[in-house]
Amino acid sequence: MNVENWLALGGAAVLALLVVAELRRRAVTSAAGRRFFRHPTAAPGVFALAFFVTVAVAAPVVAPYPPYYQIARRENLRPSPQHVLGTDPYGRDVLSRLVYGARISLGIGALGMAVAVTVGAIVGGVAGYFRGWVDTALMRLVDVGLAMPRIFVLLMAVALTEHISLWVLVLLIGLTGWFGTSRLVRAEVLSLREREFAAAARAMGAGAGRVIFRHVLPNAAAPIIVSAALGIGSVMLLEAGLSFLGMGVPSPVPSWGNMIADGWIKMAVAPWAATFPGLAISLVVMALNAVGDALRDALDPRKEAV
Amino acid sequence: MAAWLVRRLAASIAIVLAVVTITFFVVHLAHGDPCGGGEQRPLPEEMCRRLRARFGYDQPVYVQYAKYLVALLHGDLGESLGLHRPVADALADAIPNTFTLALAALVIDFALGLALGIYQAVRERSVVDIALGNAALFVNSMPVFWLGLVVLLVFAQRLHWFPVGGLGDPVLCPSVASLPCQLDFLWHLALPALTLGLVGAAGTARYQRAAMLEVIGQDYVRTARAKGLPERRVLLVHALRNALLPFITLIGLTFPFLLTGAVLVETVFAWPGMGRLAVNAILQRDYPVVTGAALVASGMVVLGSLIADVLYGVADPRIRVRDA
Amino acid sequence: MALACVMLLGACQRRPSCIGEYCGTLVIAAAGEPDVLLSPISDRSITRDVTDQLFLKLADLGLSGNTIGDEDFQPQLAERWEWDAPTTLVFHLDPRARWQDGQPVTAADVAFTYDAYTDTIVGSPFRSSLRQIAAVTTRDSLTVVFRFRQRYPEMFYDAVYHMRIMPSHLLREVPRPQWSSTAFGRAPVGDGPYRFVAWKAGESLELAADSTFFLGRPHIRRVIWRFTPDQTVAVTQLIAGDADAIEVLVAPDNVQRACATPRLACYPYKGAQYGYLGFNLAAPGDTTKPHPLFGDRDLRRALVMAVDRERLLRTVWGDFAKVPPGPLSQLWWIWDPEIRELPYDSAQAARLLTRLGWIDTDGDGVRDKDGHPLAFRVLVPTTSAIRRQYARLLQEQYRTMGVDVQLDEVDFSLFNERSRAGRFDALINVWTTDPTPSSGFPQTWTGGGRSNYGHYDNPDVDQLVDRAVVSAGNRDQARRAWRSATETLNRDAPAVFLFATENVAAADKRVEDVRIRPDSWLALLRTWRIPVDRQTDRDRVER
Repeated sequence: MNVENWLALGGAAVLALLVVAELRRRAVTSAAGRRFFRHPTAAPGVFALAFFVTVAVAAPVVAPYPPYYQIARRENLRPSPQHVLGTDPYGRDVLSRLVYGARISLGIGALGMAVAVTVGAIVGGVAGYFRGWVDTALMRLVDVGLAMPRIFVLLMAVALTEHISLWVLVLLIGLTGWFGTSRLVRAEVLSLREREFAAAARAMGAGAGRVIFRHVLPNAAAPIIVSAALGIGSVMLLEAGLSFLGMGVPSPVPSWGNMIADGWIKMAVAPWAATFPGLAISLVVMALNAVGDALRDALDPRKEAV
Repeated sequence: MAAWLVRRLAASIAIVLAVVTITFFVVHLAHGDPCGGGEQRPLPEEMCRRLRARFGYDQPVYVQYAKYLVALLHGDLGESLGLHRPVADALADAIPNTFTLALAALVIDFALGLALGIYQAVRERSVVDIALGNAALFVNSMPVFWLGLVVLLVFAQRLHWFPVGGLGDPVLCPSVASLPCQLDFLWHLALPALTLGLVGAAGTARYQRAAMLEVIGQDYVRTARAKGLPERRVLLVHALRNALLPFITLIGLTFPFLLTGAVLVETVFAWPGMGRLAVNAILQRDYPVVTGAALVASGMVVLGSLIADVLYGVADPRIRVRDA
Repeated sequence: MALACVMLLGACQRRPSCIGEYCGTLVIAAAGEPDVLLSPISDRSITRDVTDQLFLKLADLGLSGNTIGDEDFQPQLAERWEWDAPTTLVFHLDPRARWQDGQPVTAADVAFTYDAYTDTIVGSPFRSSLRQIAAVTTRDSLTVVFRFRQRYPEMFYDAVYHMRIMPSHLLREVPRPQWSSTAFGRAPVGDGPYRFVAWKAGESLELAADSTFFLGRPHIRRVIWRFTPDQTVAVTQLIAGDADAIEVLVAPDNVQRACATPRLACYPYKGAQYGYLGFNLAAPGDTTKPHPLFGDRDLRRALVMAVDRERLLRTVWGDFAKVPPGPLSQLWWIWDPEIRELPYDSAQAARLLTRLGWIDTDGDGVRDKDGHPLAFRVLVPTTSAIRRQYARLLQEQYRTMGVDVQLDEVDFSLFNERSRAGRFDALINVWTTDPTPSSGFPQTWTGGGRSNYGHYDNPDVDQLVDRAVVSAGNRDQARRAWRSATETLNRDAPAVFLFATENVAAADKRVEDVRIRPDSWLALLRTWRIPVDRQTDRDRVER
């Protein structure tokens, strides 16, 4: 690892600190913002997320080696100044793959969740707004969707296709993850649609789509945001599980999940290759959970009075 | 109550049936006939003719589906393509193992989770609370299979405190009849159950702490305190009883978690349960087993939420009215 | 400590009662599980290991491994045999042979077995190995006659090696299409040194010595296989003392760890496997058209020369395999490092690719021609750590050459299905070979061969192989024919031959007389023993 890599890593940390400081400064102006940062783990959580995102974006500068580069006769090396997190069974630098893997793992988490939230919001919005048989049909569908463990459904979907691209994987993850969100949104919409602003919009002659997406959903944003923040973590865990079973992100693209899978075969002689990506997942998911908790407290209107 | 229960039960069965139906059609349409594909088919023609006659592979999918349903009513789940045995037999071998693992994990999960959550709530915002809270958050964020790998490496491979995997010692304990063999079984169960239980317990603790804090802030607890009741009694009798209510929801949520976790943990610890069976079947495209596993898995999930609902109804009569 | 406690309790409760020479328990760690214990149906090596103990052959290969003629074969079910004519072989069964339910083993069982092995409905993978046998008939209850289509050096080997004799009185009533799921396949009754005790799916399988076995009582009383989902766990169980023996340690780190364990002894023996990256010369899914890339012989040659096979071998195998000079396992007598093959020469490979018009015109790092990138997919089974490793290493070596390789990692059963159906560009395959090339080589590398997944077809090779197998007058002529067949094949570059294994088995040091026949490591298990003074409580405990 060279000086510039260390500098880049330090730079990412400084940048993350700046992000936290800036957010804190802005947060003071709103009650929700103040409540957010009052949560003890909020600031560390934001810092960790900002750090990992920066590292992912700046991967070429931070990583000392290209992520695919297999160095001959350097397989399973323990951590040293040259390979700070050691090398894996293929002679690839674990840190470099971890850094590039952040792009994939965080990306899948965010995109997968974005798909899930979008679909969930639409389905929940439609069900809650129209009620009646539409609602019944959609919610029974959700019941069925929730009755199968998601990993089964995903494994089945992946196993049925001959070969899977990263984008399809993300889409599949998203399409199996919206059931919970849609229930949440439906409940919000059910109560919101009777409120004055929705009734007023309807009276003004706005169509269903306009009422749902322009008037009702924005007011139901708080629970959606919270569940999305928490959901990204669960998607990342899911990706790791799929990759572990050999059904996730295809080689040679590094993801934290398939790094664990690649390292596992030499767990006895080179435990670092599987340990560090696992730690990275745990840290990021922990940060997401912390931020999600803080967001929930911040956005919960009941806390307004306290 | 009875009418509500019947309705709820019927809905549950409908859901399971829907899952089975979807699984059945998806796998059949996607894969089709193992003897299809003309010249390039993997099996010789003579064998295919027999297979078709025996399993009805030559008939339209809806006929096969009807056949499957009729057989299902008789408890016949068909025959595995890869295991050379009836699906029901394979499931019957695997389910008890997963059930034991899940039960053990559930006990660890709830016992440890409740204790931690209550303890943290009582010591709210103390150093201990914050430390435990962060630790729980961290454990709850781990990929469960990764924790399993680490635990396996440290406690089985390095320290030799626990066995590396499997259900028991096949030499001394070919069956789990005697007391020492039961101990041996527990000893083999310890690591997978702890792995699964710990991750769950961390979540339960976070949940329970929040529920407890909410209740402590309520009027009746303040009243109880004001009346001068001993703190211990206030917390354990008045607060805890009400804080347990949301906990029931958690039971329903825990079932899917345990199932998902079991899939991965069973793979790590060579535990011959449902999860491993289902994953192998999916990967090998052994569709009769996949459909059977879908039936069992969705059945377990639905059962979990049913139990939670019933418990809720028992604990809080208001719910029944609303839910009905 | 917990172990001691449990073991102590176990020992107290189950009084160790077996005393003497014929005690002993052997736990074998296995990465895999039999699908069905019916030799005509299953060709998994783990099934072979178990059925080796349950069912006998007419005669078996000697330790020399010589498959030509009949001198080096050992009597098993047949106490003797003679040649009535050059193509007529008569076996006389041992009258002492009994099925474990008390019935005698008869000539009818042999005829029935031949019928089952060659029945297309049973679909035995060994069927094509029996193609030279025209008929099997019974002369009396203990005499059976084999008639061959022609005379060739390995007739006797074909007659005895592929078939394990099945009990006709137990299987005659089972309809042939239902053989693969019959109850017999999960609880077989055999005639071998061991009898079946129990099989717990996904967990373990136990056999017990048959004390009345007519060829000699086995020394080890209980044999138990522990099934694990993968090799790493199996080795770990062995090292942790949860198992006593393992067939192969495979990866060099496993060998190092196991052989450094004081309790374990290591036993190197010749490997029967070779692995390769095979190209599909026909278009995927349509064998009538050539593959758009691999139909080109020069391109294949370039792709072979681009791979530094020695380096890959070091990374994956360390010292426990060799780069094979063709589709050869080290077990074969035709193994010869002098066989000529294409060298590793990445510069030459790059020049050749450029000459063929594969140039990176758009600067994306991948060579292209007429708008098509030089890209292909490699089929790899997820269940094999070795092949997954090779896949990743090859992917990177080709990437540096400007060749884009993507992996299709699928379950083993799906891998088999797709390779059989020809639905792949390239695959990483491994063959576990017979002790002789005469059936495996033509099956895989001649036109119309049953397992010729890559559709490699060169009439010259076919002719040379035929000469080697059938018409060669002596060993030297056969060797020369094999050598030119292999060299012709190497020039056509239908595959990159990656490794030929060298095996290391490990067993607990208390086990004596561990003799391993390389083609089937447990073939001589009944002569392994645990001397009285080394027996532990685990050896003496009753089930």
